[in-house]
This record gives sequence, C-alpha cells and structure tokens, in this order.
Amino acid sequence: MTAQMFFIGFFGLAGVWFGIVVFRTFSMVRSALALLFSQTALGAMFLSMQAEFLGVLQIMMMATEMSIMAIFMVMFMMDPGGLGEMDMTHQKRLSLGAGIVSFVAAVAVAVFVDWGPVASVSPDAAQQTIDLGLELLGRSMLIFETAGITILTAMIAATAVAIQPVKRTREQ
Amino acid sequence: MTTVLLLLLLAVGAYLVAVLEDWTVSGRFRLTAPVLAGIALLGRESIVPRKPDRIFFEVAPFLLLISAILAAAVVPLTPDLIITDMATGALFINAALVYVLVALLMAGWGPDGAYAMIGGWRFLGQLIAYAMLIVMPITAVVMRAESLLTTQVVVSQAGVWNIIYQPLGFILFFIAAMALAFLPPFDLTTSKGELAGGVEAEYAGVRLAVFRLGRLALIITLAAATVIFYLGGWQGPLLPPWAWSTIKILAVTTIMLLAGRYMPRIREADLLAWCWMLGIPLALLNILLVGVLVLVFP
Repeated sequence: MTAQMFFIGFFGLAGVWFGIVVFRTFSMVRSALALLFSQTALGAMFLSMQAEFLGVLQIMMMATEMSIMAIFMVMFMMDPGGLGEMDMTHQKRLSLGAGIVSFVAAVAVAVFVDWGPVASVSPDAAQQTIDLGLELLGRSMLIFETAGITILTAMIAATAVAIQPVKRTREQ
Repeated sequence: MTTVLLLLLLAVGAYLVAVLEDWTVSGRFRLTAPVLAGIALLGRESIVPRKPDRIFFEVAPFLLLISAILAAAVVPLTPDLIITDMATGALFINAALVYVLVALLMAGWGPDGAYAMIGGWRFLGQLIAYAMLIVMPITAVVMRAESLLTTQVVVSQAGVWNIIYQPLGFILFFIAAMALAFLPPFDLTTSKGELAGGVEAEYAGVRLAVFRLGRLALIITLAAATVIFYLGGWQGPLLPPWAWSTIKILAVTTIMLLAGRYMPRIREADLLAWCWMLGIPLALLNILLVGVLVLVFP
C-alpha cells in the first residue's frame, strides 16, 4: 500500500512538473513532448492505481496525439524552434485567473463530493477490461460516439482550414 | 530469472538480425560482422552537431531501445517463457511501439540537421497512416481470441492459425510492421540515397551504436509479434515449443529482410496514399469479416 501511494505521488508530481515544463520552453517540439510526458505520467498513475487498461490506453493514445500536435505546431507557429525566444503566451491575467479557479473547483469536487464506499479490492485486470467494454457499449455509448464525431469534425475542419486555396490557372 | 533469460535471448536475437541483415545486403554470411561493426562504432568519436536540442539528441537512441524491449516484455516464447503476461498485452505491445515514433521524432528534431529532420517528420507523417494498420489487425486478432492476453491469443490459434483464418489482416500487419521498423522498401526515415541516412545522419560512434541496437531489437520484436499474432506462436508438431518459436521468428525476420532486398524503395507519397486509401478500408473490412467468421465458426 505504501509503495502504491509512493508511486501515485511520484508520477503525480512528475505529471505536474512536465506540465510546468510545457510553459518554460520556447521550443514548440519540446513543449509538445513535455505535454506528452506529463500525460504519460498520468497513465503511469493509472497503472499504479491498478487500472491497467486505462493506463496502457492513456500511454498509447497520448504518444500519437502529442506527436501529431508537435507537427501541427511546427507547421503553424512562426518560431517553432524557439531560437527567437518569441513569447507565445497572451492574456496572462485571464488565463492565470481561469487556471486558479478551475484548480480550486477541481480540488473542491475531489474533497466535497460523496464518493460512496471505496472498494477495498479492485477487480483483476481482465475483468476490468470486460467491465469497461460493457460500459462503453452500454450507457456511455452516446457520450463516446458524440465525442468521437466531434473530434472527427474538428480534424476535417482543421485540415480544410490548413489547405491553402489554389487559384487554378490555364496551365494547370 | 525469466526476465534475465528473455533479455539475453533478445540480445542474441538482435545479433542474429544483424547477421541476417548483413547477409541480405552484402550476400555474405559472416557471423562476426556485427561484432566488428560494433567495435568500429564504439571506437569512433561520437560527434555532437552544432546547436543540438541536447535532451532529445541524447534520449532518442535509448528511447528507441527501451520501447523495443518493453514491447518484447509481453511476447511469449513458450507458455511460461514470458516476462509479464499482462491482461492488456496485445494493447501494450502497440502502446510500447508508439514510442518508436516519439524516439524517431526526437532523433530527427534533436541534432538540428535538415536531413535528420526530414526523416523524423516523414516517419511521423507515415506512421499516422500505418499505425492504423497495426492496431486494426490486432483488433481482429483479439476478437478471435476474446482476450488481450498474448498467451491466450496463441492458444486461440490451436485449430487454425490466424494467417489462414484472417490472411488479409496478416498481410496488412506484416507490411505495417516492416514500415514501423523502417525496413527497406519502407526505409523512408533513414533513406540511404536521398536523405544520406535521415535520422541516423547526425549520429556517430556510441550513440549510433545504441540507435542501431534499438532498431535490431525492434525488428526481432516485431517478427516475434507477427509470430504470436498470426503464426500460432509456439505451436507445432514434434519439436518443443521453444524450438518452434525460434524457427518461426527467424523465418519471419529473414522474409522481412529479404523482401526489402529485392524491391526498390517506395515513394513517400505513394505509401501514404496507399495506406490511407487502400490499407485502412481493407483493415476495416478485415475486422468485419473476422467478426462474421467468429460468429459463424467460433
């Protein structure tokens, strides 16, 4: 139990640290990969909490997603390497305020919500996968399908925006 | 104990891949060639290019090696010879292999060189296309096994191997695995002719040695994954399980290496187009077919 608490704490702090690193660097690629390792640390937290499927999924999905984000940032940012030390932040007060408010709200939810009885023993990993599958194809189906369609729409829209309109001339 | 044994086997496997690769390239079978090449690499100066992204540059070769080793951890050679039989093994292989992409991205961006960077981003662009061709065939395989345990995947092929049960999935996975290990004809990341080595271009000495070792481990791991997913793993008549695993893995590795020997390097745009427009629809079709098969012949 103590080892488990240690690893949860360790990976939690690692996640927070890499989250801070995201804003401490000027390089877009470093920033994206710092975010990746922050998310990977969260996946490791899931693993420490014996939620194997969620942990592995988190570690897998984030690697691809953050790498794709890196290439998009390199494509669209003016100074992707960060050698010009261009400040990429804006509306600092607003974002600071929003950050503090959401942090307090998240902590308040975690502390004050009645989570019901805490399970002393978690089901084994294979059972967890089965339960998760039934949940995804049961009452959570609508939520996930909606989220999936939304992301797909956003991806198509982003690609459409990124393509430069080409004026066709007679030679083409 | 099992872990140490399997890591040793992985090292031996990587060595054999190096011998085989040398044989497919030079046509000569020299058992000592990798040792000599290794000594030569270790003896050379490991140059650091000007203005590198130092963290990425140093971490990338090790990340490549680590992701290959992690993927190998859930591959069973016999029913008992496996480092960890994770309940999410089939997914974990993929999760570990995705970090190959991260490693190559780092290796491409880190040294601040044009060829390396093109190689790295090229791999990313390609991988988004054929990562689906790795995940979707695995999905069809675990659908038949009704389990993500890699040992269970092998057991599920007791009657008919998956290469016969779902040949379409096998072809897609095999091609995608070759592309993931950037083997010729899919070696767009390290293209010798056009990119002067690509992501490998700026590496030298001991760092290059680690990078090459990581790639060799990756090749043998992917061959082993192909064997457990499609060729019935350790199963076979007469010989003991470990022998069958060894024979099959080496055979798959040889075919992977030979296939590249006799084919010209594929064009980047062509591979991308084929993966998106042909590969992914076929992979979806494969899932559908296997779904029907699983219901009809359980």
